Amino acid sequence: MHDPGEDLELHRRLLGGDRTAFDELYRRYASQAYGLAYRVTGQQILAQDVVHDAFLALWRAPEAFDEHRGSFRTFFLSMVHHRGVDLVRREQRLRARTEKAANLEPVTDEDPADAVADAGYLSVRRKEVREAMTELPDPQRQVLEMAYFDGKTQVQIAEELAIPLGTVKTRTLAAMRKLRLALQETG
Amino acid sequence: MIDHDAIDELLAGYVLQSLTGEDATAADRLLIDHVPECTDCLATLDAFQGLTGDIALVAEPATVPDTLVPRLHRSLDGRRSRRMPAWHPGRLVAAAAAAVALIGVAGLAITQVDGGTGSQLLTQADLQQVTDVANRNDATVTPLGAAEEVTAPGLEEIYLRGTGVPTPPAGSTYRLWAISPAGAATYVGDFVPDAGAILFEISIDPTAVDHLLITVAPAGSDPGEPEQPVPWAAAS
Repeated sequence: MHDPGEDLELHRRLLGGDRTAFDELYRRYASQAYGLAYRVTGQQILAQDVVHDAFLALWRAPEAFDEHRGSFRTFFLSMVHHRGVDLVRREQRLRARTEKAANLEPVTDEDPADAVADAGYLSVRRKEVREAMTELPDPQRQVLEMAYFDGKTQVQIAEELAIPLGTVKTRTLAAMRKLRLALQETG
Repeated sequence: MIDHDAIDELLAGYVLQSLTGEDATAADRLLIDHVPECTDCLATLDAFQGLTGDIALVAEPATVPDTLVPRLHRSLDGRRSRRMPAWHPGRLVAAAAAAVALIGVAGLAITQVDGGTGSQLLTQADLQQVTDVANRNDATVTPLGAAEEVTAPGLEEIYLRGTGVPTPPAGSTYRLWAISPAGAATYVGDFVPDAGAILFEISIDPTAVDHLLITVAPAGSDPGEPEQPVPWAAAS
């Protein structure tokens, strides 16, 4: 089970250069990070680069995480997302998305121990987040997903949906506020 | 009157990396000028930033290719030493004696993120050496807001020193660029000041650099292209 308190302890050990703590954090978050990176980049090779660079950045600058500003999980996955979006924008020419996320190997092919680990805290939170996303009005969820998973700018979203930029901003904020409220209540 | 709804709109777009143009510039300024002093905005920024980690869970976890772990371990082994720059014992003593001017220098966080081109360009500098260079008659000391760019003829590096440098917004880092006379930007590295102090050596031929540029960026993000300089580093 992914206890946030255990993450903090692992992070403290990481600050001291503890490689086993790093390995444990990798075991906990690599699958989720890779799934996210793949969803954002649409390319397995790019997703590997994203996850590699994110873990490397974590190893080299663990002090970038401030436990007073959020959980380690959200910090790290947020970093993976940022790197994924950055990479997509740099590698637009590679974004043919010839591989579809649906073809990705499921996590159940992993070591059973990993699947058990993911069945705890992460899976509970995953369910909460997905429910919160489902509760969003379709127009709000749409702009959020286009920005988050497709790496589109607000200007691109406005053009693609043929709606004013101001509407994209309003919907994005509304979605983020609703998610914040919903996940505060559950988290 | 501050419009916090408008600020929240920018913060939401900022954490999603979906801002461009004037909105991106406005967000950068807010993150420097307003957010650090506003508890409401800080709370909103942290909450929205956290959501970008939560939304990640919508994506299905996936089996990581077997090649990634050995690749990562090779990278870790090859870069571990960079976290503690080498200090010559003699210089360490001299630097300690002069440390009254720059408190906390040893704790500077240099966090290059590209893992390649920038990774060898930015290192922690030797305080005594920088002071000696700055005191040379032929030295050039160029103000860069709260910081100073220091170089001198014959050197193959540039130094950057400063105190009173504000802490970047939560989840962000300063990003250093070298701009060539032709306007080309080279990513140098990321850093976070310690107690407002910065002291860096930039391993780039000064004759190939027109000026340095400091921007703010999400911690851990890819360098991409430089955007607007942070206000405190605007060239005087």
